[in-house]
Amino acid sequence: MREAPKIIVFCCNWSVCPGLQLSTSSTYYGDESLVDPIVTMCSGRVSPELILEALSQGAWGVLVAGCPPGECEHNGNYKARRRVFLLRNLLKQFNIEPERVGLEWFSTGESARLRGAMNDFADKVAELGPIGGKDG
Amino acid sequence: MAKPKVAFYWCASCGGCEEAVVDLAEDILEVVRAVDIVFWPVALDFKKKDVEQMADGELAVSFINGAIRTEEQEEMVKLLRRKSGLVIAFGSCAHIGGIPGLANFWNRETIFERVYKGVPTMDNPKGVLPQTKTIVDGQELTIPEFWNTVHTLDQVIPVDYYIPGCAPPPDLIMKAINAILEGKLPEKGAVLAPDKSLCDTCPLADSKPEKLMMKEIKRPYEVILDPEKCFLAQGVICLGPATRSGCGERCINAHMPCRGCFGPVKGVKDQGARVLSFVASILGIEGEEQMTDEEVQKLVDQIPDPAGLFYMYSLPSSLLRRKIMK
Repeated sequence: MREAPKIIVFCCNWSVCPGLQLSTSSTYYGDESLVDPIVTMCSGRVSPELILEALSQGAWGVLVAGCPPGECEHNGNYKARRRVFLLRNLLKQFNIEPERVGLEWFSTGESARLRGAMNDFADKVAELGPIGGKDG
Repeated sequence: MAKPKVAFYWCASCGGCEEAVVDLAEDILEVVRAVDIVFWPVALDFKKKDVEQMADGELAVSFINGAIRTEEQEEMVKLLRRKSGLVIAFGSCAHIGGIPGLANFWNRETIFERVYKGVPTMDNPKGVLPQTKTIVDGQELTIPEFWNTVHTLDQVIPVDYYIPGCAPPPDLIMKAINAILEGKLPEKGAVLAPDKSLCDTCPLADSKPEKLMMKEIKRPYEVILDPEKCFLAQGVICLGPATRSGCGERCINAHMPCRGCFGPVKGVKDQGARVLSFVASILGIEGEEQMTDEEVQKLVDQIPDPAGLFYMYSLPSSLLRRKIMK
């Protein structure tokens, strides 16, 4: 069996987190790795520094999960989108695959889709493996 | 009473930090009245063996500028650390990596290829690259190993205090020297400069709109700038919000945006990430609800080299530290 990917999920307290609590199991990805999502008050509060910290400490990928366009009360999701897009451009310059930073939107009632999306993200990141190179 | 002994040393740097000491002008006379400068390779003829002969801790303070990228620099700073009561990282390169730190987008192999083979002015038909050992007429010659990665001083030896800047301004240097002489230093590890951001002390701060917004990004050469107006309000990226103050706003007063040489404000680990954060926050707020992913991508693609710009002075001290070479 291949190694389970190390993934950090930053999820919005108001939409994604209730969905996670409603989902039947907190385990995912071959039941080998447990997601301990980090709850934030808004996807707009996920600073790029936190994402880089996760990647520099061994995370294979980071998923930012927030409210869909039109559903965030603070428009923080639009800010999160711009930050993630710019961060992906920056990561390319470090030879780090931009797909390692995911951005997904979920509404409160989407617990079923949540699990699927996290699995898809984990699959994609597992394909890439850990971040590393010869001069690491 | 014997005067405290002081050393100045340079590593991977341009010499500007040495110039900054000379820029103390007549104040340097006050400094030498109070201390004995016993090691300063750029100005005085003392040798490594003179330092080796000192007792451990005999030097009151070593001011070390430059980043660390060779075996020799590592050896010298470790020697100075052993002989010194206090080690002060002097200037941007020792503090956060500085301009030499941008070499962390390459490595030894790619730098040597470029410098000794690639540049048009290089005449090197045999493709000779520097070797740490060479035999010439039966004699072995050695030069220090050149590292793949440029390091900050505190990644190589423990550092007690930091004086930031490219180069540090004379008033901060004098304040630091006086604080040392009077024993009025803050907690260990402190950066001897104000804790405010440059934006807070910027002479253009009054022209900054309450809600900063950038519709599009321009580079300084693409636009005739209003010298009285905040750069960000004119669509030009300025690192002021994410950079420590204390520089005397030298670039701003010369009508150039901040490029971050004073490093991050207190408590921030990664200066470039903070720059990315605020740029993405204020870029394209107007009409953000209507924007498609493609339009947002176009918006951020206006910055051709985000890593080089956001980490212009701080790449070795960043969370990622260097590009991964594949």
